[in-house]
Amino acid sequence: MSIKNLIICIAVIAGIVTLTPFLKFQYQDLMIFLVINVLVVVSYRLVTLTGEWSLIHIVMMGVGAYASAMLSKFAGFPFWVSMPLAGLTAAGISAILCFPLFRMTQFYFLIGSFAAGEAIRLCWIYFIDPFGGSSGINNIPVPVLGDVDFYEPMPYLYMVLVVVTISLVILHRIEKSRVGLTLLAVHWKAPLAESVGVDTWKYRSLALIVGSFFVGIAGALKVHYLGVVTPHQFGIGIMVFVLIWVIVGGYATFVGPIIGVVVLTIFDQGLRASGVVDPAVQPAIYGAVLITSILFMPEGLEGLGKRFRSMAKNSNA
Amino acid sequence: MGITRRNLLRGTAATLAVAGTGFSTQLLAGQKTVKIGLNIPMTGDYAPWGLPGLYGCEIVANNINAAGGVEIGGETYMIEPVGYDHGYDTEKAIIGYKTLIGDDASMIMMLGGSTVGAILGRAQRGKKMVTTLLPSDITPDTPNLVAPSESHPLYNATGVEWLKENFPELKTAVIVTTNDIEYGQQSAAVYQAAFEAAGIEVLDTNFHGFDVTDFAPIVQGLLSNKPDVFCMATDVYTTPLVEALYNANFQGKIVSCTLDLYEEVIAKTSKEFVEGIVFQFPDFDDPALNSAQIQFPDPSGFWDTFQKDYPGQWSAVAWQYPAILTNWVTAAQAAGSIEPMDVLAAMKGNPNPPHTFGKAKWWGSQLYGQDNCVVGDWPVVTMQDGRARIVEFRSVLDWLDRNNDILKRKMQDLGLRTV
Amino acid sequence: MELFLQSIVNSIIQGGFFALWAVGLVLIFGVMGVVNFAHGELVMIGAYTVWLLHAQNDVPFLLAVPIAIILAMMIGLLMERFLFRPNRTDPLAGLICSIGVLFILQVVAHEVGGTGPAKQVAPPFSEIIQVGEYLRIPSQRLFSLAVALSALGVLWYFLTQSKLGWALRAVALDREASALQGININRISMIAIGVGAAMAGLAGGLMAPLQNITPHMGHNVIITAFIVTIVGGVGSLSGAVAAAFIYAAFHTFVTTYFNGTIATILGLLIMVVVLIIKPTGIMGVKVSE
Repeated sequence: MSIKNLIICIAVIAGIVTLTPFLKFQYQDLMIFLVINVLVVVSYRLVTLTGEWSLIHIVMMGVGAYASAMLSKFAGFPFWVSMPLAGLTAAGISAILCFPLFRMTQFYFLIGSFAAGEAIRLCWIYFIDPFGGSSGINNIPVPVLGDVDFYEPMPYLYMVLVVVTISLVILHRIEKSRVGLTLLAVHWKAPLAESVGVDTWKYRSLALIVGSFFVGIAGALKVHYLGVVTPHQFGIGIMVFVLIWVIVGGYATFVGPIIGVVVLTIFDQGLRASGVVDPAVQPAIYGAVLITSILFMPEGLEGLGKRFRSMAKNSNA
Repeated sequence: MGITRRNLLRGTAATLAVAGTGFSTQLLAGQKTVKIGLNIPMTGDYAPWGLPGLYGCEIVANNINAAGGVEIGGETYMIEPVGYDHGYDTEKAIIGYKTLIGDDASMIMMLGGSTVGAILGRAQRGKKMVTTLLPSDITPDTPNLVAPSESHPLYNATGVEWLKENFPELKTAVIVTTNDIEYGQQSAAVYQAAFEAAGIEVLDTNFHGFDVTDFAPIVQGLLSNKPDVFCMATDVYTTPLVEALYNANFQGKIVSCTLDLYEEVIAKTSKEFVEGIVFQFPDFDDPALNSAQIQFPDPSGFWDTFQKDYPGQWSAVAWQYPAILTNWVTAAQAAGSIEPMDVLAAMKGNPNPPHTFGKAKWWGSQLYGQDNCVVGDWPVVTMQDGRARIVEFRSVLDWLDRNNDILKRKMQDLGLRTV
Repeated sequence: MELFLQSIVNSIIQGGFFALWAVGLVLIFGVMGVVNFAHGELVMIGAYTVWLLHAQNDVPFLLAVPIAIILAMMIGLLMERFLFRPNRTDPLAGLICSIGVLFILQVVAHEVGGTGPAKQVAPPFSEIIQVGEYLRIPSQRLFSLAVALSALGVLWYFLTQSKLGWALRAVALDREASALQGININRISMIAIGVGAAMAGLAGGLMAPLQNITPHMGHNVIITAFIVTIVGGVGSLSGAVAAAFIYAAFHTFVTTYFNGTIATILGLLIMVVVLIIKPTGIMGVKVSE
């Protein structure tokens, strides 16, 4: 990573750390969820590098969330163990699903991933023992580390920042590595990649499994702060939000989805706070934003950024 | 009209939360107000068990304020109910709780279930008072949670008891309810215990999901057992269920916990068909509510105002939240303070807690681990000529004294938490 | 025995609805190559229209339903013109736009209906028909079935006997070749989505007196439509209709004798299995890319 980008990252993290203590409690909570959502979108982008749009990503987040909740509440594992195990559980389940799912492409993969995810979610609802059914599981234990009170937003935010930053670094390294370059080749030019002996199925599966690992961790992070996990937190409605963040932000580069989730979250909160719009209407605004983005901004916000920069360059020339 | 008001309150709460200055929308200039929070569902499947409660509180609060407010600890306060719609979504319930607490609500009223479970840890740590309509939310670790009005689903036993007393020939029953723990399984346990205590055999219990659009298969499957009694243990879908029973020409007895919006049920079936359905929630203009044991301010006046201001919105909870509100007032006056822990102590310290239908005691340690539930008499209601009318009041405490063991056994069979 | 017969009747009636839902989706996907994720919401709009007109404003039911059809059709046409047509080369973009429409329609329904419990429409036909000793069929359901079957019949006639119908099927088979033959793709797309949306609106209007009306009722519709479409064959209308009745029977019987949630889980798993083994479905042909 270039020095310039490194400085930007450090500045952003420093900004979050210094700014958040002064926010009201709702916004502190929001900051925590925003950082977690950054991990969700960046891990999703890795999955989209397979060229397929999966609708199972949020359910994998749920798999991680339930795994961590159950391991820590019922089996007594400390959070620091249950969280990575949550990631592994999500990775494992997605590994099994690779076999059926990657035999489908395009539209069929979309529907198939949606169906598989929904089936998992309905299992959480139907099997009250052990998943708690519709009510889910509550009183999920909070992380314990010495005297730190993880009920409080700021300590939890620090912890989340550490976990997410490490995850993002790993994801970025994967993308820049040989594996990542091969993935991109599979994404853009699958037949060509196959002709040089690349096993596209293997790489697609890898992307799905690694993406699921990190979103499983994100799920654990989320529910240990909330204290509850329910099936309704991981439905198609939330999955669509992830799609919106990624599409509006752009997914050509690593940073695009992050821009998307940050800008839209701020936009959403701004709308709420202004009181101009009844909260019940907000999904419609999201719908309009999504449509506008597809029709007029196909490369997303990061594409806009590129366009402005090249316009500026041209005007200087 | 009600919707505009609700938006006003919700918008106000949101604006206040954002401003965070503690500025209170004052109903009269220069008056102190105390906020009572309602963290309830106002949209979605459970809306009928949340939103009408807010309306009811507004009516009761307006009456109190119009009479000059309440005097607590030497100060006069206006009462302001503040609602937050969580739509029965757990995450939103947590946000709602934090918003209302940030808004200095002295008490948080909730419907119950997973949304309550989500915020209890915070309420205990923050020393805040939370009320629920479901005593099954109470655990040994949550002394700050009380169920001061409804003791759902314990009172449902009275309907079954009355049914057997008046129709001794009934021998078999089937039960239908939702597949969640807090409503479905808890009420199934109570009804199963009540039927067993009454000598009626339960042939089948069906726990259905929330995504059912057509109840015909479920109802017909249950009716193939040829039961004498069809029981809707606790169900938000009473309307389509009764309609399916009507389509199947069910001739037996129907017993239910609630029968909200029965006008819609009649529109889809007939007045004759719903005649005699046994449930537990009267229309509040019932003359039986003028009896001396009733402890609710002017029930028929409340009913008339509610029907005028919010027509077609009455449900089982419309009076319960205001009842808790008035209980809060009584306790706060006794404590001389609006601080949550003081009010809670005063409420629990009263050996004869006020209860809408009277003759109540604190109860619960035998089942839930704490005596944090107010259990008293409860009416048995039947549909009579298109209205919900009380046939008699029965003592829930008596039933529990006699049958607590059966209930505990049924709860354990279903894997429900008991002490 | 009685239960079995009654379940058969329930299955047939449900099958009629499932067929209406699926046929609309197949038409749009087959002809235009795009998945309309908002299809369930078109059904929902149909139901809300009937609620608003008939239950709230005393418009006769037999007038409210055609209005619901027309409204759904107009929304479909708007979607074609402004969302699907510009994205013809990228069907995924069209799909995502339809998700945007899904949100918008749900909010519209929420605003029109207000908060509070599900809406109910009292059935305009309230008699219950007794067939033989055991069977009782509410006339409202019989009416819905009759209308659904008639609509499917009309559609079949249109597709097989009319020039426009043949054009539709040609475009579904091979769009480029059809354009080369002089078929106006824009016009055919509009007809496809118009008919598909009209089916959805009709289904919604017929369903209104039979179930709870909420802004989210489309969720169940789209899941069922997907299952039926995939199992029956993505390009095949007759496959979709056959699969609709088979799936309706499966779901009804599993729900009656066992549990409704399990029925849906199994349905989804069956769909995944079909997707693995034969993605074009039982009767499907491969739709041209």
